[in-house]
Amino acid sequence: MHFFLRLAREWDLRFERLVRLGAVSKWYSSVGNEGVTVAAATAIEAGDALISLHRDSGAILRHYLDAGRLFPDLFPAVSQRRASQVEPRGILYRLACQMLGKANGFSAGRERSYHYSHFDEGAGIIHVGMISHLGAMIPVAAGLALAFKQRGSDRVAVNFVGEGGTSTGDFHEGLNMAAVLRVPFILIIENNGYAFSTPAREQYASQTLAERGAAYGIPGVRVDGCDVVRVHEEVARAVSRARRGEGPTLIEAVVGRMRGHSEGDDSIQLLDAAERQRHERSDPLARFERSLLEVGAATQKYLDDIAKCCAELIVETVDSAMKAPDPVPETPLGGIYAE
Amino acid sequence: MPSETVVTKEISYLDAITRALRDELQDDPSVFVMGQDIAEYGGAFKATRGFLAEFGPHRMVNTPISESGTIGMAVGAAMLGRRPVVEMQFADFISCGFNQVVNVAAKMFWRTGRPVPMVIRCPTGGGAGAGAFHSQCVEAWFLHTPGLKVVAPAWPSDAYALLRAAIRDPNPVLFFEHKHLYRRVKQSAESFEAARREAVIGSARIVRSGEDVTVIAYGWMTHTSLEAAEVVSRDGISVEVVDLRSLAPMDEGLILESIRRTGRAVIVHEACFTGGFGGEIAARIGEKAFEFLDGPIRRIAYPDHPVPYHRGLEAASIPSVERIADVIRDLRRW
Ligand SMILES: Cc1ncc(C[n+]2csc(CCOP(=O)(O)OP(=O)(O)O)c2C)c(N)n1
Ligand SMILES: [Mg+2]
Repeated sequence: MHFFLRLAREWDLRFERLVRLGAVSKWYSSVGNEGVTVAAATAIEAGDALISLHRDSGAILRHYLDAGRLFPDLFPAVSQRRASQVEPRGILYRLACQMLGKANGFSAGRERSYHYSHFDEGAGIIHVGMISHLGAMIPVAAGLALAFKQRGSDRVAVNFVGEGGTSTGDFHEGLNMAAVLRVPFILIIENNGYAFSTPAREQYASQTLAERGAAYGIPGVRVDGCDVVRVHEEVARAVSRARRGEGPTLIEAVVGRMRGHSEGDDSIQLLDAAERQRHERSDPLARFERSLLEVGAATQKYLDDIAKCCAELIVETVDSAMKAPDPVPETPLGGIYAE
Repeated sequence: MPSETVVTKEISYLDAITRALRDELQDDPSVFVMGQDIAEYGGAFKATRGFLAEFGPHRMVNTPISESGTIGMAVGAAMLGRRPVVEMQFADFISCGFNQVVNVAAKMFWRTGRPVPMVIRCPTGGGAGAGAFHSQCVEAWFLHTPGLKVVAPAWPSDAYALLRAAIRDPNPVLFFEHKHLYRRVKQSAESFEAARREAVIGSARIVRSGEDVTVIAYGWMTHTSLEAAEVVSRDGISVEVVDLRSLAPMDEGLILESIRRTGRAVIVHEACFTGGFGGEIAARIGEKAFEFLDGPIRRIAYPDHPVPYHRGLEAASIPSVERIADVIRDLRRW
């Protein structure tokens, strides 16, 4: 898990830098959310569906890539359950191209950043990206879960939403329907306390969002989203329930707000110095690394080596994607209608 | 071999819908129906009466009153190869699922290359004294959205063929079935059998041939236009009636071909005037067949106000045989 926390961090740091350099126009940073996204994607398997939002690079990287195939020297013994058929550098390059709107991206330049889908059912990847409208993907994700149930398979659908997105009608309709139809669906709220500039207290009046689970007749769990081990436990529990046919689970993962809404806007300035410090201290990666060192599961040298490998891989991949061809109007995606 | 219900007696428009659904459910195990009150109750209009016993709860999915949730779930299921047929209780309620239709379903294939084979059945239109929220013709909302197919049959044979085609289509299809036609329009077994093979999505049909004026209509208005054509034939006016059947894609070729012959165009729809589909058809005729026109392109539509509850008030607004006949006579003078 640590490798993917670090990889996701380097991914976002690279794009944040490109925004500052003016090479990328917009970036919603996932820094601070990796504890939730990487842990959640670790709890699912090949053939499960991932439905992601704008701060879920950790889940995508974890779901697509096989660490053992990327760095056999570092992870010789790791036999991954999934994504082992996928050529990792190739798919990472495609992902970088997608972020940059290039022809080799998953949407061939038609769609921005995380607004794409990637289906490679042979390799067990079912990944549906977002549309801009918050909440809209919740019913769609529940529909993927319905398809699994109708097919008689034990696969599950895992979907993310920000705490702001929980105020949409689709949150209610999607979650209620998923509960009534008992589909294998896990909805994870990444609660970073803000939606653009709006603080959570202006978003909902209940104490927590997890308590909504009870209203839908499903488990609602609140977890410290900066504690990767706890997130993994809770998502794994929800996944087992869903696989057993016991229906959906709502998980509220509380994370820090380590970045503003989007890079370059001034929304982070709404937080006073004390609050910003508190959020900085919530860094799930730093916290996990500290605990690995404390229990002797890793040495500082090992952590440094991983950080270096990840940074090099990301910089190299993103830089080559920057030089990738731009799309032409005749993309291989087809016209307005499927044939 | 595909299932084909053998029809022995007269078949109504609603029967045709039921038969198309049953035949598709029998033929393709990935087809399933979602909607409010569709399972045990058989649907508000009883289109799926008896289906629960025949196909079981996995294929007849009753839903809460959640149009957005239901359409969104249908999109997700369709992306994994299921073929959901969603029933709106009334077409009017699709507004509650608008975003799922126009932003999620319609754009999915273009954005991601992943097909979304789903159908939304929309019982549409007025004439029943049902008021502003159970009578609307809302198809124009969706014709402005690339990626959707929109069909509106006028006959049992077309309803049958187009619903089956819609279910087999790899795209989201909105199926506007007119409530006023459900039990009023019937075909004999022979004419149903003969006609149902010919309809495909995207093709219009000349339902009456004529030389002087072309009337372009769909749904209920096809029938009203045919009556008007009959009335003015007594004045010696020969009217051609084109039944569009499919609004998106639309059969532009057939429309233009007819106008080039008659030189006069009347477009009739029950939906409101401003921003209605008639405007689009008129524009295309103006752009592509202007030199063939002998007079102005005329549109007949619902006035730009909500549907009133009182039957008399409502009837005064729906395009009538007399109104259409008058416009045809007027245009003929050019
Ligand atoms: C339906 C809708 N309304 C408004 C927006 C504009 N918008 C984009 S992101 C955002 C804030 C999202 O907050 P939250 O859901 O908490 O996610 P976060 O960015 O904090 O992770 C808003 C208002 C949108 N994308 N969709
Ligand atoms: Mg938020």
